[in-house]
Amino acid sequence: MLELFAFGDTGWGDELLKGFGVTVALAVVTLPIGILLGFLIAMASMSKNSTLHWFGIGYTTVFRGIPELLTLFTVYNGAALLLNRLAKFANPEAGFVELSPFVAGVVSLSLVFGAFSAEVLRGAFQALDKGQVEAGLAVGMTRIDVFRRVKLPQVWRFALPGLGNLWVNLIKDTALVSIISLDDLMRMTQVAVGFTKKPFTFFLAACLAYWAICALSEVVAARLETRANRGVRRA
Amino acid sequence: MDFINVIITFWPKLLHGLGLTLLLTGLSAVLAGAISLPLAVFRTTAGPWAQFPMRLYISFMRGTPLLGQLFLIYYGSGQFRAELQSIGLWSFFRDPFNCAVLAFTLNSTAYQIEILRGGLMGVPAGQIEAARAIGMSKLQAYARVILPHTYRIAQPALGNEIILLMKGSAVASVITIFDLMGETKTVFAKTFDFSIYLWAALIYLAVTTLFVRGWRYLEKRLNPHLAGHAPAEAAKPAMGTR
Amino acid sequence: MNTTNGNTKTLIVEDIHKSFGPVEVLRGISLTAKEHDVISILGSSGSGKSTFLRCINLLEMPTSGRIHLHGDHIEIVKDSKGNSRPKSMRQVEHMRTKLGMVFQQFNLWTHMTVLENVMEGPVTVLKQPKNEVKDRAEAMLARVGLSERKNYYPSGLSGGQQQRVAIARALCMEPDVMLFDEPTSALDPELVGEVLQVMRKLAEEGRTMIVVTHEMSFARDVSSEVVFLHKGQIEEQGPPKTMFKDQNSDRFRQFLSKVR
Repeated sequence: MLELFAFGDTGWGDELLKGFGVTVALAVVTLPIGILLGFLIAMASMSKNSTLHWFGIGYTTVFRGIPELLTLFTVYNGAALLLNRLAKFANPEAGFVELSPFVAGVVSLSLVFGAFSAEVLRGAFQALDKGQVEAGLAVGMTRIDVFRRVKLPQVWRFALPGLGNLWVNLIKDTALVSIISLDDLMRMTQVAVGFTKKPFTFFLAACLAYWAICALSEVVAARLETRANRGVRRA
Repeated sequence: MDFINVIITFWPKLLHGLGLTLLLTGLSAVLAGAISLPLAVFRTTAGPWAQFPMRLYISFMRGTPLLGQLFLIYYGSGQFRAELQSIGLWSFFRDPFNCAVLAFTLNSTAYQIEILRGGLMGVPAGQIEAARAIGMSKLQAYARVILPHTYRIAQPALGNEIILLMKGSAVASVITIFDLMGETKTVFAKTFDFSIYLWAALIYLAVTTLFVRGWRYLEKRLNPHLAGHAPAEAAKPAMGTR
Repeated sequence: MNTTNGNTKTLIVEDIHKSFGPVEVLRGISLTAKEHDVISILGSSGSGKSTFLRCINLLEMPTSGRIHLHGDHIEIVKDSKGNSRPKSMRQVEHMRTKLGMVFQQFNLWTHMTVLENVMEGPVTVLKQPKNEVKDRAEAMLARVGLSERKNYYPSGLSGGQQQRVAIARALCMEPDVMLFDEPTSALDPELVGEVLQVMRKLAEEGRTMIVVTHEMSFARDVSSEVVFLHKGQIEEQGPPKTMFKDQNSDRFRQFLSKVR
C-alpha cells in the first residue's frame, strides 16, 4: 500500500506533497490579510461614528452568518463576471478573463477570517484593563499614544487563543477551495483517487495530513500564548 | 434577468433546497445530540485510559475538514463495496443524503460532547452533594439535578453549534445533494445571474436570525430563574467555522 | 475669578459640577492647592470624593467648572449635542503631565517592566531623551525603595510594591501636584504602612499633594488641610488640628465615629 504514496512516476507522494504546499500557502497568505481586515472591521465596529459602527456590525453578521462555501462561490463567480465586464469595457475585443482560484480562495477566506477575527479582536480590546488606559491618559498621553503604547501591545495577549482557533478553522476551510479546482491537498487527493480507485486510503491520508497541521498549530499556539503571557500573572 | 425576476422565477427551487438544508441540519443535530449525551457523561467520569479513544475521535473530527470527512464516508465506502454489500449496508452508503447525515452527525457529535462536558463540569459541586444528601441515587441525581443544570449551561453553545452545522451543511452540495447551496449553484449555472447568490445569502441569514431568536426565547423559557442575570461564563457562545 | 496670587504652581479648581444622568454627584466644589500644601479629602462612600479628584485631571469629565494650573486654563464647554467637553484637549493633555496621579488599583502597565513603567511618560509624552530619563527613573525607584526590582514585571510584585512603583511613575514626570486616589484602599493591611511611609516622605519634602483617603492618621498628622465632603459639597474645611479637635459639623463627627 505504501507504494501508492511513493514519489516520482510510480506513486502519488510528490503530487500530494505539492497539493499540501498549496494548502499551506493558501492559509499562510490569507492569515495576515485576514487579520488586517479583522483589525479594521473591529476598529469600525468600535467606532463612535454610527455609519462605521453599523458597517462593522453588518459585515461581521453577514460573513459569520452565511456558509463559507457560499462566500467562496460568490467571490469566484461574482468577481469573474465583474472582471469580464471591466475587461469588455476597457477593450471590447478582450477574451474571457478568469480569476485564479488561488486569488479567489485568498479573497473569500480573508473575508471570512476578517469577520471572525474582528469579533475576537473586539472582545480582546474590551477585555483590556481600563485602569491602565486611565494611567496612560493621566500622564498626558493622547488617545493615539494610549492606543499605540498601552492597548496594542496587550490586545494580542487576549486575542491569541481566539486567533489560534480561527487559524485551525482557516486550515480546514482551505479544503473548500478544491471545489473551484485549486490544486490543493484535497483536490490532488481526488485526482489520485480517480486514478487509483482507492478513495478511502487517500481521503484518510489527506485527513491525517490536515489533522497533523491542526495538531501542530495547537502546540505552536500554546507556546505563543505562554510567551505572550510572560510577566503577566493573575494575582 | 434582474434581482427581482430571478427570485420570482426560481423561488420553488430555492425553497426546496432550503427544506433539504433544514432536514440535513435538523436530523444530524438531533442524532448527534442523542449520541453525545452518554458519551459526554463517560468523558467526565471515565479514567484517562478509557477516555483516550474518545479524545482521539474528538480531536480528529475537530482537526479535519468536514469536506474531507464527507468524502471519506461517501467516496471512501466504495473501497469496501464488496464487504458492505455482503452485510447489506451498501445501499445505505450509495445514497449521498445518508452519507451526508452520517458525516454531519459524527462531526457534530464531537463538538457536542465537548459542549456538554463543559456543561457537566459547570454544575456546582454543592448541587450534586445536596442531591446525594437527600438520598438520591446516582441516576436520580443525574436525571433531576445534574442534567437539567448541564443543558441550561450548555444551551447557548449548543445553539451556536447548530448554526455552524447548518453553515457547514452547504458542503453536501458537493456530493450532488440539492440543498440550498446546491440549488443556488444550478440556478447560477443556468442563468449566470449573480443575484441568485445574494438571495441565497439572504435566506441563510434569515434562517440564522430566526433560529437565534427562537433559541433565545427557549433559553428564557427554560431559565426563568436567570431573568435579569448575566449568563454564566460557560454560556458564552463559542465561535468558529467548519 | 482668577485668584492666582503670583505663585504659578498653585492649582485652582473652581466650581466643579458633575452629574451622572439625573444624579448630581458634585455640586459646585472649589479648591485651591498652593505649593507645599498637602490636602486630605475625606468623606463617606458616595460623597463624591474620588469623582472630584478624577475631575481635576479630567479623567472624569465635569459637567461644568474651571481648572487652572501654571498657565493652563481648562474650561468646560458644551458641544452642539449638549455634552460637556474641554475647550482644548491639547491643553488637558499638557496639564495632565503636571498632575501626577496615583490610583487605588495601581494601574501599572502589565506588559512593561517596573523601569519601563516609570520611564514611559517622560519618554513618550514629554519626549525626553531615554538615557536622561533612565537615570531619573532609577533615582525615583531608589526613593521608593525598589531599585532592585526594576527589571521585574508588575505581576511579580506585592500590592504595596506596585503602588510604590506607581508613585515613582508619577514622580518621574516631575509634576507640580500629586493626586492620590485612595492609594491604600486596595492593599492588604500589612502593606499599607510602606505606602504611607513613602507618601509621608513626599509631604516632608514639600510636595504639593491632594489625597483622597480613609487613613485618618495620615489626614491628621501629615496634611496641612483637611476637606470633608458630604453629598457632593464641601461640608467642612480647615487645618487638621482644629478640624479634628472642634468637629463643628455633626456629619463630620458622625463620619469620624464610624471610621474608627
